[in-house]
Amino acid sequence: MNVLSIAILTAALLLIVTGLYMLVRTYNMIRIIIAVEVAMKAITLLLAYAGWLNGQTALSQAFVVTIIVMEVVVAVVAAGLAISSFRKNGDVDIRRLNKLNG
Amino acid sequence: MTTFIIVLCLVVMVGFAISAAMLRSMLKSAVSLAAMSAALAVILYMMGAIWAALFELSVCVGLITVVFISAISLTTPDRRDEAHAADHRRRFAALPFILIALGAAIIAVLVYTGFSLPLPGEEAVAEATFNQVFWQTRQADILGQILMLLAGAFAVVVLFKEGKKI
Repeated sequence: MNVLSIAILTAALLLIVTGLYMLVRTYNMIRIIIAVEVAMKAITLLLAYAGWLNGQTALSQAFVVTIIVMEVVVAVVAAGLAISSFRKNGDVDIRRLNKLNG
Repeated sequence: MTTFIIVLCLVVMVGFAISAAMLRSMLKSAVSLAAMSAALAVILYMMGAIWAALFELSVCVGLITVVFISAISLTTPDRRDEAHAADHRRRFAALPFILIALGAAIIAVLVYTGFSLPLPGEEAVAEATFNQVFWQTRQADILGQILMLLAGAFAVVVLFKEGKKI
């Protein structure tokens, strides 16, 4: 039995569940971005572990770098959306986004 | 020793993920996320993914945390009322119990079924360097990253564009 593989798979699944739980239980846009980031950390972890297992660390690093760039873009655009919503509505409640127009 | 450090960092990651979810202060949640990224960077380093660890540490711990703190300071109203705190506690009270139960169930299933992956390096292949893979094999990824960054910059410009006053 490989303790490391069990630990990594369990931790990754728990991180994904934590992210999904946050997504389900909150209406705050900033918390929603944090939830997406938490889930994406699990994906980063699994990709790096897959590369480590197969001895293809360089390839997995290329994927991880791509994911990090995606994380940054998602976080910046979503934060901009939250700030725009706050300026318009006075809070960052995701349910108010259906009032955006134009 | 490597296994111990990685398992320790995994525990730290899950702990900070729970704190990011449960803490009422948005600022503390953002700092928890940064600490989680730092633990992930250590894991990446231990796995030999040094460039990925460097990116994780500089971008996710540094840049994204700055973005979060800026967004929080620009948006979060000062809500210290007890009703809001109680509502937040009620929403996330079940999370630790769910995670403990789920974690125990996953470990039990994996151990019971004799699940095992090969140890790292057992299936090693002749490995190219990160530079070779990133700049020669994965050129389409680089193009995609450039396009994503441009799309993100364009989206931010559009979001903060001053509209015409009617």
